[in-house]
Amino acid sequence: MMNLLLGYQPLLDLFLLHLGLAYAQWLVLRAGVFSLGTVGLAAVGAYTGGILVVTYGLPAPLALIASALSGGLVALALSVPLARLRGIYQAIATVAFIQIVLSLNIYATNVTGGAQGITGIPKTVGTPLLLLAGAATIYLMYAITHSRLGRAFDAIRQNEAVAASLGVSIVRHQTLAFVLSGALAGVYGALEAFHSYALVPSQFGFPYLIAILSYVVFGGRTSLWGPIVGTAVLILLPEVVRPLADARMLVFGILLILTINFLPKGIADTLIERARGRRLGARRPAEADTAKGS
Amino acid sequence: MALILDNLSKRFGGVVASENVNITVPKGKITGLIGPNGAGKTTIVNMITGMLAVSGGTIRVDDTDITRAPADQICRAGLARTFQNIRILPENSVLDNILIGFHRHERCSTLSALLGLPASRRETAAMRARAEALLERFGMRHLAEYPAGGLSYGHQRRVEMMRALASEPDYILLDEPIAGMNDVESDALAVLFRDLADSGIGILLIEHNLRFVTRLCEHIYVLDGGRLIAEGAPEAVLSDPAVLTAYVGGEHA
Repeated sequence: MMNLLLGYQPLLDLFLLHLGLAYAQWLVLRAGVFSLGTVGLAAVGAYTGGILVVTYGLPAPLALIASALSGGLVALALSVPLARLRGIYQAIATVAFIQIVLSLNIYATNVTGGAQGITGIPKTVGTPLLLLAGAATIYLMYAITHSRLGRAFDAIRQNEAVAASLGVSIVRHQTLAFVLSGALAGVYGALEAFHSYALVPSQFGFPYLIAILSYVVFGGRTSLWGPIVGTAVLILLPEVVRPLADARMLVFGILLILTINFLPKGIADTLIERARGRRLGARRPAEADTAKGS
Repeated sequence: MALILDNLSKRFGGVVASENVNITVPKGKITGLIGPNGAGKTTIVNMITGMLAVSGGTIRVDDTDITRAPADQICRAGLARTFQNIRILPENSVLDNILIGFHRHERCSTLSALLGLPASRRETAAMRARAEALLERFGMRHLAEYPAGGLSYGHQRRVEMMRALASEPDYILLDEPIAGMNDVESDALAVLFRDLADSGIGILLIEHNLRFVTRLCEHIYVLDGGRLIAEGAPEAVLSDPAVLTAYVGGEHA
């Protein structure tokens, strides 16, 4: 029994690492920022952590804090031009940002180790620490959701004019969401670095971006459960159905197309909505379903 | 103390959308703004609410100049609004739609909101209680948990109004609030608007329905071609030849 569980430990680690980035992605989308830059910010955090530990010999906990700061600060700088853009243009700008980070990682050889990446990072992060990080992340997201910030994010995402007319500052809240998301991505980038001995520049590229985005789209973009469900299913699926493992990206692609067409709100959000519909349906007031008549 | 538009003008290139409009909305009263289609009512609304840049003149809420303020600062200055075409948050429940209206009064620090500290939890609970009280007052308590996107038209309008009221404004701008409602629904709202005015809120009512406006307002402004063509008590305004010409056509006058 113990051996069986141990066999799945790398999978659990992978799940927890990706879950953190999925929440970073979820948080910006929730505030109506269409950023795809999460993996770029994770790369910033990972390299900050890796360089500080390997080159400067800093203790890992200090490097982790620096990674959070670096992710948050880079996001803050990026939020200035992003605030002037909307929707698909934000997506394009943030993908460009990832390309810039990737190029820097490859060409700034003196600092980042170039194409070789960074090796010999002491492994200081194991499953218990990742579990702790996962619990803390979920708690933080829960607290934000049920605070004035979560309410403001929800309003901005659904209708900016309404949010503004109620006194919600759109720039302030979207910047805050983006900086928080950047700090979170920075932390998880560093956790990944401290978990896996080495960093290679291509690690934080386009496939990773698609994977993280898939978790959120597949699981659900608004409920707290979305990233958990999405990450769990998409990570487990290639392992359960072994032959699919080689075609991981293909499977992601097909699942995404199916989800967008048939469950546009994602698995968790759709199920939660249905459950709510059933609960309310049981005590339906006379006119609740004469909806949209005018 | 009033919401004052002073010589407000808007030009789109050479096209004059409003010219030297002077309107005063005193506290505790319902002021009407009427005009035929294309008279420039929406332009005025958009300028007041910060959706459209002002070309000339000023807008003041009490002592605060909001002429060039962004929409969120206008709300914080004490002016709330409803929208002509309903804008609710369709994914959220009715209760959550109203909760966001309290944003202006939320005081807890960003850090305690982030970490879910007791201050943030207490604030959320307090706002919920106030939202529920508002729902009670509007007779929609039983719909609190429903997604707002699925409500009937009349109910969605009321959600919008509760949300605007949640910000506890000194002035409220109602942009065609009874469009698409039947007489029973609009009568109920008339009572409500009266109550709001009696509680000290200044209301600017932009409306097509002349009967509704004449019944509620003590003072009416009539807009046509971007200019004010008449103002005064409802009876006087509606018998004004210029107003009749604008509304019914030239031959009538």
